[in-house]
Amino acid sequence: MIYAITLGLSFPLLGFLYLMLSSHFTSRLKAGQIACATVFLSFLCFVGLVSAHFNSSEHYKTIKLFPWMHLGSIHSDISLHVDELSLLMALIITGVGFLIHVYSIGYMDHEKDATRYFACLNFFIFAMLLLVMSGSLIALFFGWEAVGLASYLLIGFWYHKDKAAAAATKAFVVNRIGDLGLLLGIIFTFYLFGTDNIIEISTRALTEYPIGTPVMTVLTLLYFWGATGKSAQIPLHTWLPDAMEGPTPVSALIHAATMVTAGVYLVVRLHPIFISAPFTLQVVSVIGGVTALFAALCGLGQSDLKRVLAYSTVSQLGLMFLACGAGAFYAAMFHLTTHAFIKALLFLSAGNVVHMLRGKTEMAEMGALANKLPWTQWLFLLGVLALAGIPPFAAFFSKDLILEEEYLSGFDILYYVGLAASVLTGIYLTRAYWLTFRGASHLSPDDEAHVHEAPKVMIFPVVVLGLLAILGGFLGFSFGSLPILETFLAKADVRITHEELISSEFFTPETIMAIIGAILGIAATSWIYYAYADKLTRPWRIFSNAFYFDACYSALIVRPLERLSSLFTNCVEPKFFEGSIHWAGQAAQLASAELQRVQSGQIRSYVAWMIAGASLLLIYFVS
Amino acid sequence: MNIIVTIIISLAMFGIGLIGVLSRRNALVFFLAIELMLNAANLLFVGFSKQWGNQIGLVWVFFILVVAAAEAAVGLAIIINLFRTKKVVDVDQYDSLRG
Amino acid sequence: MFGFFDSATQWILGLILLLSSLGVILLRKPVHASLSFLLTLLTLSIYYLQLDAHFISVMQVLVYAGAILVIFMFVIILFQDAYQEIEFTQPKSSKWILAMGFIFLIFGFSMFIYMILDLPSKFSTLSHDYGTVQSLGKALYLDFFIPFEAAILLFLVALIGALYIGKKVKKE
Repeated sequence: MIYAITLGLSFPLLGFLYLMLSSHFTSRLKAGQIACATVFLSFLCFVGLVSAHFNSSEHYKTIKLFPWMHLGSIHSDISLHVDELSLLMALIITGVGFLIHVYSIGYMDHEKDATRYFACLNFFIFAMLLLVMSGSLIALFFGWEAVGLASYLLIGFWYHKDKAAAAATKAFVVNRIGDLGLLLGIIFTFYLFGTDNIIEISTRALTEYPIGTPVMTVLTLLYFWGATGKSAQIPLHTWLPDAMEGPTPVSALIHAATMVTAGVYLVVRLHPIFISAPFTLQVVSVIGGVTALFAALCGLGQSDLKRVLAYSTVSQLGLMFLACGAGAFYAAMFHLTTHAFIKALLFLSAGNVVHMLRGKTEMAEMGALANKLPWTQWLFLLGVLALAGIPPFAAFFSKDLILEEEYLSGFDILYYVGLAASVLTGIYLTRAYWLTFRGASHLSPDDEAHVHEAPKVMIFPVVVLGLLAILGGFLGFSFGSLPILETFLAKADVRITHEELISSEFFTPETIMAIIGAILGIAATSWIYYAYADKLTRPWRIFSNAFYFDACYSALIVRPLERLSSLFTNCVEPKFFEGSIHWAGQAAQLASAELQRVQSGQIRSYVAWMIAGASLLLIYFVS
Repeated sequence: MNIIVTIIISLAMFGIGLIGVLSRRNALVFFLAIELMLNAANLLFVGFSKQWGNQIGLVWVFFILVVAAAEAAVGLAIIINLFRTKKVVDVDQYDSLRG
Repeated sequence: MFGFFDSATQWILGLILLLSSLGVILLRKPVHASLSFLLTLLTLSIYYLQLDAHFISVMQVLVYAGAILVIFMFVIILFQDAYQEIEFTQPKSSKWILAMGFIFLIFGFSMFIYMILDLPSKFSTLSHDYGTVQSLGKALYLDFFIPFEAAILLFLVALIGALYIGKKVKKE
């Protein structure tokens, strides 16, 4: 079992190293094949682990890699801890990752530098695997930072485009602000517990500190700060829409399915600590709910296809945090799984469209693509319906679970916020579908001439994801007995909190409200866009500018910093630093010029100096 | 008393010679003042030699005389050469070694 | 030989010495200055006689007044017109440095004089041939022979040096 873990972790790393070192003489096709092969082998390792897991009695494995720091009261080892939660995440990462790798072979077919792309993609898989399989917070932090780095490398893949480079920097910097919180949390953990072993902290937190101590609240708030940065919640969400400057498969993998879920994973993994700080859980659900609603409203006003999907991701992550805040950690993980499938499906279908239009993502330049891209169109529609929460597609079950848990935990307002966000999901996704695939065509003439259906290598992974979108819900839901996912995760102590949900009736009033809301939303939007598409004006500016968050940040933080740095560059640096060096040289020259005057060549002056010196010596020696 | 008078006279001559070095610009008078200083030193040596009764002082005066003669010869040759180059006898104009 | 006169002679001679030294440095024409220097030398010679240094007094007249002063006179006569131009040019040495030297000079000298006022002035008895040519000659040739020969070498070098430096450069 140990071999499976280490092999699964090292295949993508080896792929990354090989591709980076041999990028000059590896062709694009070969690089893609190598990258896909490594991820597939990794996936097989984890599948093998799962089957071994069902056959054996022990349900987790800890591998201590090496001791890191043993100083006084601090003991820290770098270790891997693989239990059901890690395995679920690893399967999602490698499975969806493999499909996206295959898709990328087709997407990058006109790209010269594809080897670097596949190397960075492999590196990302490795880093994410390290993050979810680490047993110590330091290893987790290493994986955390490494996925941030991979995100930077991949968003800025086309680094000669200014917008992409700026977006990559923005993503990294905003992530870094979040990482500060996580780092402070880790340091505080060392201070409190003397160790960073996750299992140890989890068991000790509940026993050593009673529920509600301020120490635990501060600790968990720091962890949540880190999660906010990585998972793009308010106020650190501004990087995710700009991150769409990267290639679409990158958006699908990193910014929909896996990296942004690292924050949710962190909260779920440390849920014993979070449980002992109820105030933090309230903060988590409030921020999650507000983000969900906020992002849904912003998604309604975007004119760029990928940005709609980006805000949709933010919104869904908000729903996941909403669930975590109510204590429904299982619901959050379930929604994470279904969301990964569906969002990857949506992004890859959008990627088909973008690839065919040679990089254009503005919906104002699309329209009436349904006939030209039939497969893509059906798959996108499938994704829309699934994410909006129409049964029996996947997200219905997970969203419903979240909303019911929310309602049963007693947070009524947050339930209604979640409901509104779900309804809005349907509305903005339907809008995106109509503007892209139906309605009047706004394509430019040469686009119209050559746009056609995507090649098979790009359709096939999307079809697989579509199947997962249809069937994935039944992982976590089944008629009668406990579903697979639940039994799986229950061993990792991630359970449904309310017993009545497990075996109660299936159509509670809340469920029916959600279904009706979703259907009404989709229908209304479809009718509006079908009938009145030409008469619609542009969306409200406050939505399309994301409630002016970016403008506020730019005015309050970015521009003062730029002015400060330009002050240093133009004023302080030349005048003080260079000036002082210059002045030092000048001072030496002045001093030497003054001293030069002593050597005037005049004999009489020399005699006078000699007299002066002699009489001084005389005075000194005599008195 | 006697030796003190000798010392005072010698000091005065030396001082006058030194002031002459500082104030006169003619190279030849400059040189004369230097010779004056040498003579003052001679006087001092002779006076002390008489006081201690030791003839070494007189021997030394002899050598000072010798050196003064040699120095005067060479110095005047130099001054003649300087005059040939600079065309003036002003010591302030002899400043080619300035820096 | 002559014995020692009383202090009055010393004072008179000292006065003449001072006056003639002042004359050396104050007289405007170099010829006058060198004549004043001659007076100084002769007075010094008499002073040496008073101090029983017979040989030295004769040497003084012979060497200084007879050789050195003669050379000086020659050179002065050679440049007797040049000295007038000095008054027309500005002094280049800084006045302040010279003033500083002057002040230090006064200061040092006053300090020196202040310190020597309480020196003992006993006189030891002199040997009967103190300062005579014979005894000094014996000392030079017997006790200080090597410095004597070195002095002769010095003369030789000075002679050659002066000849070489004073040579006229042949114009081609």
